[in-house]
Amino acid sequence: MVLAAALVLAAVLIAASLVSVTRGSPSAPDGPRPLIGAREVSDLFHGLPQNGTVLGRANAPVTMVEYADLQCPYCGMWERNTLPVLVRQYVRTGKLRIEFRGLAFIGADSEIALRTALAASSENRLWNVVELLYLNQGVENSGWVTPSLLSGILTAAGVDPAAAQPGSSTVGRLQAQATAEAQAAGVRATPTVEIGRTGQALHTIDTTSLSPPPFQAAVRQELGS
Amino acid sequence: MSERPYVLASGGLAALGAAVAGYLTYSHYAHVTVACPTSGCETVQSSAYSEVFGIPVGLLGLVAYLVILAALVAPPETSRWLVLGVALSGFVFSTYLVLVQAFRIGAFCTWCLASDAIVALIVIVALLRVRTAEGAAAGRSG
Repeated sequence: MVLAAALVLAAVLIAASLVSVTRGSPSAPDGPRPLIGAREVSDLFHGLPQNGTVLGRANAPVTMVEYADLQCPYCGMWERNTLPVLVRQYVRTGKLRIEFRGLAFIGADSEIALRTALAASSENRLWNVVELLYLNQGVENSGWVTPSLLSGILTAAGVDPAAAQPGSSTVGRLQAQATAEAQAAGVRATPTVEIGRTGQALHTIDTTSLSPPPFQAAVRQELGS
Repeated sequence: MSERPYVLASGGLAALGAAVAGYLTYSHYAHVTVACPTSGCETVQSSAYSEVFGIPVGLLGLVAYLVILAALVAPPETSRWLVLGVALSGFVFSTYLVLVQAFRIGAFCTWCLASDAIVALIVIVALLRVRTAEGAAAGRSG
């Protein structure tokens, strides 16, 4: 009797949670939520060269390419757990450059988030925006990419929100280019991460595990080859 | 064996759980960053799953731990089943939240996992308490 009541109570809580998430709680999408990770992201990329969608020195011996949707939870997992390790260990030491090729296939939130990140690439701040978006990532297609979130992220990334032009033709061209490159590379899932010696053919890293070790090993292998 | 050690253990665990849930509730309402070894706590705390119709999950946990503490001073027959019932509900809901962290949010909140472990321990202690009490009752009637 007690056990049945306990299970019913738990089921009610779980159902309420799911319904609440689906509907969006009153303070969820555009409430006074503090931006997560502004200082950490600023520290992570401080002093590192960024050129458009590329992070790291142009003459780094190894190149990594990341195909990702800004709403994809697994991309977020990779960005939060593995990217910082690679940046500190290999990008900061000039051994690795990473190119972001953003895709927007999950929904409307992906589209506006990606366009905003690409707009920041003209001021060489794309990586700050991308990392902040992943740190503040919400539930897919819940409307979490709000104007206030984007404005806060751009400001934290050092980009004037009023000057950013997510609707520009340059942004459209960058987006179309990444989509075409993803198709050419046969990208079927995100994140897809490719690696190779700079200027040479790239190959895909197995992303079964999104933790740092396989990616660190791939960089070491390229450096040693 | 007396039920007293189980009551004390449950009380200690529930007080610890209330402290953890209280801290998460405070950080939610005060909009302060949760002290956390990774960014996972903030990611989880700021996700849509951190609230149920506007009520922070941490607050639900805090209420549950306080109910358990209150139930511990109730008459033994009521106490042992009430503690087990509330703890079991909390455990099932916590398990759901762990799965949400793993498969929906993609980040783990250390404080939330600590609370999940505490509620699991309370379930174990509550089950042992019920078994001990039923064993003693069987001994008396036999």
